[in-house]
Amino acid sequence: MPQMGVSVAEGTIVEWRKRPGDWVEADEPICDVTTDKIDVEIPSPANGRLDRILVEPGATVPVGTPLAEIDAEARPGEAHPDEHNGKQPAAVETEDAVEDGDRSRFYSPVVRRIADKHGIDLSQVSGTGIGGRVRKKDVLAYIEAREGVSDGPPEPVLHIESPYRPDEAEAPEPSEAEGEEAPAAPAGAPPPGLDELIGPSRSEPMSPMRQAIARHMTESRRTAAHCTTIVEADFTHVTSRRAELRESMRRRGVSLTYLAFVAQATVEALQEHPRLNASVDGEEIVYHEDVNLGIAVALEGGLVVPVIRRAQRLSLEGMAAAIGDLAERARDRRLDPDEVHGGTFTITNPGQFGAVLATPIINQPQVAILDLEAIVKRPVVVEGADGDSIAIHPMSYLCMSWDHRALDGADAARFLGDVKAHLEGWGDAR
Amino acid sequence: MSAVEPRGGASVTAAPDSDGSPSGAREMTYLEAISGALREEMRRDETVFCLGEDIGAFGGAFKVTEGFVEEFGADRCLDMPLAENAIIGTAVGAAVEGLRPVCEMQFSDFISCGFDQLVNVAAKLHYRQGVAVPMVVRLPSGGGFSGGPFHSQNPEAWFIQAPGLKVVTPATASDAKGLLVSAIRDPNPVCYLEHKGLYRHVRDEVPEGEHTVPIGEARVARSGDEMTVIAYGSSVHLALRAADELDEDIEVLDLRTLAPLDRESILGSVRRTGKALVAHEATRSCGVGAEVAALITEEAFEDLDAPVRRLTAPDVPIPFSPPLEQAVLPQLDDMKEACRALLAY
Repeated sequence: MPQMGVSVAEGTIVEWRKRPGDWVEADEPICDVTTDKIDVEIPSPANGRLDRILVEPGATVPVGTPLAEIDAEARPGEAHPDEHNGKQPAAVETEDAVEDGDRSRFYSPVVRRIADKHGIDLSQVSGTGIGGRVRKKDVLAYIEAREGVSDGPPEPVLHIESPYRPDEAEAPEPSEAEGEEAPAAPAGAPPPGLDELIGPSRSEPMSPMRQAIARHMTESRRTAAHCTTIVEADFTHVTSRRAELRESMRRRGVSLTYLAFVAQATVEALQEHPRLNASVDGEEIVYHEDVNLGIAVALEGGLVVPVIRRAQRLSLEGMAAAIGDLAERARDRRLDPDEVHGGTFTITNPGQFGAVLATPIINQPQVAILDLEAIVKRPVVVEGADGDSIAIHPMSYLCMSWDHRALDGADAARFLGDVKAHLEGWGDAR
Repeated sequence: MSAVEPRGGASVTAAPDSDGSPSGAREMTYLEAISGALREEMRRDETVFCLGEDIGAFGGAFKVTEGFVEEFGADRCLDMPLAENAIIGTAVGAAVEGLRPVCEMQFSDFISCGFDQLVNVAAKLHYRQGVAVPMVVRLPSGGGFSGGPFHSQNPEAWFIQAPGLKVVTPATASDAKGLLVSAIRDPNPVCYLEHKGLYRHVRDEVPEGEHTVPIGEARVARSGDEMTVIAYGSSVHLALRAADELDEDIEVLDLRTLAPLDRESILGSVRRTGKALVAHEATRSCGVGAEVAALITEEAFEDLDAPVRRLTAPDVPIPFSPPLEQAVLPQLDDMKEACRALLAY
């Protein structure tokens, strides 16, 4: 497992593009690896024949672990040694007894089926099979222990004596008195399963990315004391400034989005409010000098948060360019693993899809996450020299979730107030 | 050797394998059961006759037809030339004309010389022309006696690949009788594989008088809940001994018929135990074990608690040398080890 950036300690094989016996050229991709959030192609270090795959898809191994063996002595087109090593068949061909190794996480089809049916977390069941494998009898014993003395065998007995024909209509017929009632389940029969109520469905395993998101989000919810503060910001000035700058930036290949303005205003406010550019480390709060701004990018089937390092150095145009570049490479899955680590504050922007309010989950170990919602035209009260009037302005809610362990409501409100002021006063002071 | 366990239609309670009125049972060898069944059928039905090499005056290489010429005459116990294609071809013609021939291959290995008559003519006549071909080919099979590559084979899989042939493989004396009677009365060709190693070593109670075993029904030779050994012929005995010596909760299913397979019994047992070992003396590739394993994974995958395993001979000819032959044919220790490994899985 190659070192894919200083922050990456382990990787998971997604799939092998080459099989043992295949010829590989140096730098040709031989497998795909996923780290926390990023998929990376692993290039072959040398010309040769892929001899042996040492890490199977799905397995997670630390950086430095050999993934495969390449025979650099081999020549292209040569037969694999296994094809002509004249291995004699064993005298009696039973399968070899399974080799040693941990099998506590391997579940046979029948074990999975029983666990699904009874809603059992198999990691709670201790296995007595080879390598700690959970056997059918283990899961049945677990159910029996959990449910007390068995109230009916979990597996229908298909036969008492041979021949194996299931008994028909075992359930007692409803009595006359019940005849008119709604189709209640006959006594003794199990209640209709949830599956029946749900109707047809389909299951698919979580992708590595979904698993990482699931892990990080529940972990964040569990650790941080989440609070959400919301301010409403008037984007009139931003809108007009954007209209002025947009065309010239477009000619330079930069797409100027509202997000770039919000990012710029946020970075500015973060430098004024260092308590929000921080992380929680155990009982300590770590304040960061640089603003490493994470931008959440929605992908097919997940999301990733690439980081703009030292965002305080960037102009509005620089910010817009950086956001555009990261988003594009994130969608093409071309980010480097280091680019998704080390953020100090995160902005998420689901508003592009029309949402107006949300309570985001903090990207740990940061202390806050700002959510830019849709910018919509609303009637607002405008204070003028000759009294109040109602006007139509582009407005949006800035929703920020913050960690009450690290700061308090007043800090959050003051910070958001400054972000709002920067946005509403855009151009006044610049 | 335990007697055959009752198995059959749900309505039958006593002596379920028999559709007649047995007048009792007598212990006899597998060989005596075959010989007796053939004799009884020839007495009952004068269209039944046998033909083969050295079966008349000599009484057959294994003495199945000893005394037949004296009782039934030379024209119902025909000594044939050393030409298996002539034996099978003659039988096909006789069967089409309404007789019920029972051919004896001196060794099942020799069937290759009569193969065209069997797989292309006998097996397909009913399909092609709606003509019944009520004939039986008796095939003394199996090794274990230093017979070498031409006298020890287990060719059952050859016949299963020829649609139109039924294939039966009795493991007990009682089934040897019941299946031979059913085979003779069947309206189309039946390959009857009799394992030579069982001839004089297997002995059990055989119902006297009318006794048939339906073609296409397996039997539970030993019931258990932890794993199923699916076997037939000589391997049934290996499995029963292994289960007894290991003293484990092993079910042994004796297939008895290989074509058509008793899918319900196989699947019913494996669905209950979750583990299956398919055992046979025949070679491994594309054998009955492969077919049964595929059936189980196709139909009972979600009930499996372990990979389906096979215990078979490897894909090699049977050696003359006794130690080499022992190394090739599955032995009791191999069966015990295969069961242990699957139980531990």
